[in-house]
Amino acid sequence: MNHEPIGSLFVDEVKAIPGGEFVEMCYSCGTCVSKCMIQQKGEPEFNPRRLLRMVMMEMKDESFDSKTTWLCSACDLCYPACPQKIHISGVIHAVKSLAVKNDKKTIQNTAVVDQQTCVACGLCVEACPYEAIKIIETKVPYRGIINVASVDSGLCMACGTCSAVCRSTSIGVPEEFTDESVVEGLWTWLQSQGVED
Amino acid sequence: METRPKIALFQCKWCLYSQPDQNWVDNDLPSSMYLVKLPCTGRINPLYILNAAQGGADGIVISGCLPEKCHYKEGNLSALRQHEEFLNFLDYIGYERSRVRFVWLDLQDRGRIQKELADFEAEIAKLGKAKVLATRTNVSPGGQYA
Amino acid sequence: MVDAARHPRIDVRTFTEVEKVEGFVGNFKVTLREKAKYVIADRCNGCGDCARVCPIEVPNYFDMNLAPRKAAYVPMSQSVPLVYNIDLDACIHCYKCVDACGALEAIDFSQEDKLVEEDIGAMIVATGFSHFDPSVMEEYGYSRYPNVITSMEMERLNNSAGPTAGNLIRPSDNKNPQKLAFINCVGSRDKRYNPSCSNFCCMYSIKNAILLKQMNPNVDITIYYIDIRTPSKGYEEFYDRAREMGIHFSQGRPSLITEDPETHNLFVHSEDVTLGKVMEKEYDMVMLNQAAVPQPDQNHMSSVLNVAQSPGGWFMEYHPKLRPIDSPTDGVFFAGACQGPKDIPSSVAQGSAASSRASRILQSDHWEIEPTVAVVFPERCSATTRGRACGICAKACPYGAINIFSPEIPAEVVTAKCHGCGACVAECPEDAITQLHFTDAQILAQMRAVLADKPEEKILAFRCHWCSYGGADLAGTSHFEYTANERGLRVMCSARMDTDFIYEAYRLGAGAVLYSGCHPQDCHYITGQLIGAKRASRLEKIFERMKMTDGRFRVEWISAAEGDKYARVLNEMQAVLDDIPMDDLKAEIEQLKPEMSKRLKKFPGVPGVQEAMDYSDILVDAITKQKEAA
Repeated sequence: MNHEPIGSLFVDEVKAIPGGEFVEMCYSCGTCVSKCMIQQKGEPEFNPRRLLRMVMMEMKDESFDSKTTWLCSACDLCYPACPQKIHISGVIHAVKSLAVKNDKKTIQNTAVVDQQTCVACGLCVEACPYEAIKIIETKVPYRGIINVASVDSGLCMACGTCSAVCRSTSIGVPEEFTDESVVEGLWTWLQSQGVED
Repeated sequence: METRPKIALFQCKWCLYSQPDQNWVDNDLPSSMYLVKLPCTGRINPLYILNAAQGGADGIVISGCLPEKCHYKEGNLSALRQHEEFLNFLDYIGYERSRVRFVWLDLQDRGRIQKELADFEAEIAKLGKAKVLATRTNVSPGGQYA
Repeated sequence: MVDAARHPRIDVRTFTEVEKVEGFVGNFKVTLREKAKYVIADRCNGCGDCARVCPIEVPNYFDMNLAPRKAAYVPMSQSVPLVYNIDLDACIHCYKCVDACGALEAIDFSQEDKLVEEDIGAMIVATGFSHFDPSVMEEYGYSRYPNVITSMEMERLNNSAGPTAGNLIRPSDNKNPQKLAFINCVGSRDKRYNPSCSNFCCMYSIKNAILLKQMNPNVDITIYYIDIRTPSKGYEEFYDRAREMGIHFSQGRPSLITEDPETHNLFVHSEDVTLGKVMEKEYDMVMLNQAAVPQPDQNHMSSVLNVAQSPGGWFMEYHPKLRPIDSPTDGVFFAGACQGPKDIPSSVAQGSAASSRASRILQSDHWEIEPTVAVVFPERCSATTRGRACGICAKACPYGAINIFSPEIPAEVVTAKCHGCGACVAECPEDAITQLHFTDAQILAQMRAVLADKPEEKILAFRCHWCSYGGADLAGTSHFEYTANERGLRVMCSARMDTDFIYEAYRLGAGAVLYSGCHPQDCHYITGQLIGAKRASRLEKIFERMKMTDGRFRVEWISAAEGDKYARVLNEMQAVLDDIPMDDLKAEIEQLKPEMSKRLKKFPGVPGVQEAMDYSDILVDAITKQKEAA
């Protein structure tokens, strides 16, 4: 009764990463999905339960391409609700780190630094909830080798907190709105309400 | 004719969970209120609030997720920290603190935003019109992502 | 129930608690606390006049506090015996009931709790189960939203003898609900509260749904479930019937219930697992199917009756497959849900089985027990030698079978209570107790025989009879290969594996020793494994201090189903021995021998041990000579 091990399975790879240990405990009750705001706020393909299922069913490429892998912001609303006590965002993070290892890129617009204006004050580093920003010595055209902020696109979740704290407006997430358009919109509305001065 | 106070509502797009409330805020907001929808309360640049105050808004409501339930882990705490500081400055230049209100909303608070807004409107009406601050300059804030 | 009460040989005692249990199978002395009812049972004719005049109303717990009852009350109209009872916590002593009772003179406020001692042959425990309180699950809003009710409340609202006479109404506005949601697995299959399945809730919610649908075919019922479990005969057909009747089933555990503050209608948020889509549906009323949990005083009962509890808190049976009705204590049997959640057919079956098991005891003059019981040598007990009984044996006994009456009198084993684990024997510091058929001398003789030839190559494995021995058996029958140098020794429990045996094994030059037994929750002798485990960890520390090579002493808990583990552990131990050069190993064994002998100073004094040593020396000599000749 001596069988050779059947090589490495995807699910074992996920389980080897801290956070992904309990992926196989999922019995597909769907609590996490109905707790999750991403699906309810307009991303119908987002489904953590299905991602866990994909991992269990060895669907490696599909899980790397799944929106769930990239859009989960680790808010952990699902974690306290899970009856099997699975740290779901931990599992998703494990899949994501495997995907990054396999040269996959995130499908979100991540934060970008304007290296010409960045003064490396470090406010964004403190504000970032994902610890995705670091101050790194970089060679910048016209400015020489200086310290500027640098974003790890694998960790950034595009919340924009960095752009709100930046005093030199040199970091931000490319979004459908800009600071200018928000202010302009506010102004137009106030004008329409009849402000004389 | 008595005009209703002008209120700017900054909303994090993940809060105001229940669908009917969200629909109401998106479509049926009275014309005296203006909605700015952002990914997170942490994304609210103090510049926005300053501009609203300068522009003559009588009140500002910031609605976001409950402190431990932020979609971006702790973006709302960052916002709270930043705006508490900023409100000191506003207070100093003559825009009362009580004209800015934070509303933390949960999925279970069905129908609460309407009540909060009505309550806030009544409070602002009592305070009267906001002091006219120096109007803004038309200079662009500058920078690539401004 | 009425039949039972009228039977001449059945004595129903209500409002009575078991206070204390002494004695053993066939000869229990049970102290009962008969609580004061403040009504003389023989005189009360159940007319209810006292309740009618009573001015006090308190919530009726039988109606899940949905309706009031008086301070003079019977819990329910079918109560047996029909004797009223006065709730003194609520009573204001107006004595109107005394006047109303009149000439019967059944009410007696001077009554007090009575302690009654009874001789009992066998006991059947049927204390049932309790319900999980869903108000701790914030997401479902029970106790915050009026229209979220529990299954037991539904049961009362739905009952024709209930507070609404069977008219199902919602608590917020007393209207008949048209759209209902039932949520299964509330607090069960949930690691945050109760990880186990409550067994009957699936069928129970289907039953309730069918009942409601029969009363009013227009109601719309959705059952939210994780899995529908219909394991018994006819259950799946019942489930089919529910589907035929138009009851909706939605797979997916709701994560949240929200309420419309105006209408008090409820919104159930859940993912429909089949569609992979989050739904928010509106209902008039939501019923939570709470988990079944052990009674709140189950721990207290288990210490009164001296029966163990399984990890979930339920009473633990003697053997989960072969003796599911017996408790580990002879003469105590379980019926119904006190032993684990059960539906009605299983409870009835277990009740009948328990009564027939109990009658077996009542009809016999003598009672057979295992022959491997413990016996005390009174002259060696510290009570005799030093005049002070140490009581270590009594503390170790999982069954409370050892009596220490006073410091001067030697310990005494109640043979009828002893199950033969041997914990007391191994624990006794004076070696004043022995276990029949597993005496120190017998085990020593076995050890000497297996370690007679080339002991440094041998791995001596102490296996407990119920688990590791079975595990080793399974390893054999499933053809898991393990080292041929293993020599197994069977004892009844890991609690019997005396430190002396381990020292003696190393003194005889054993290469390695395995100390194996059941997993903690599987122990056949309630807490025997815990005693063994404690001793094993002590031994591990001692050997570490002696600087013995890691892995020469190993402690493993191997169940009878883990043949593969047994083989693996043995092979790993063999690998450890293979890694040490033979000369080094021999040197280490020689070096540790004086240490071991020092610890074994008292061992030859144990009755029979010296003789066994002498006799086995002769045998060993004979074996060696035979080998040399060959």
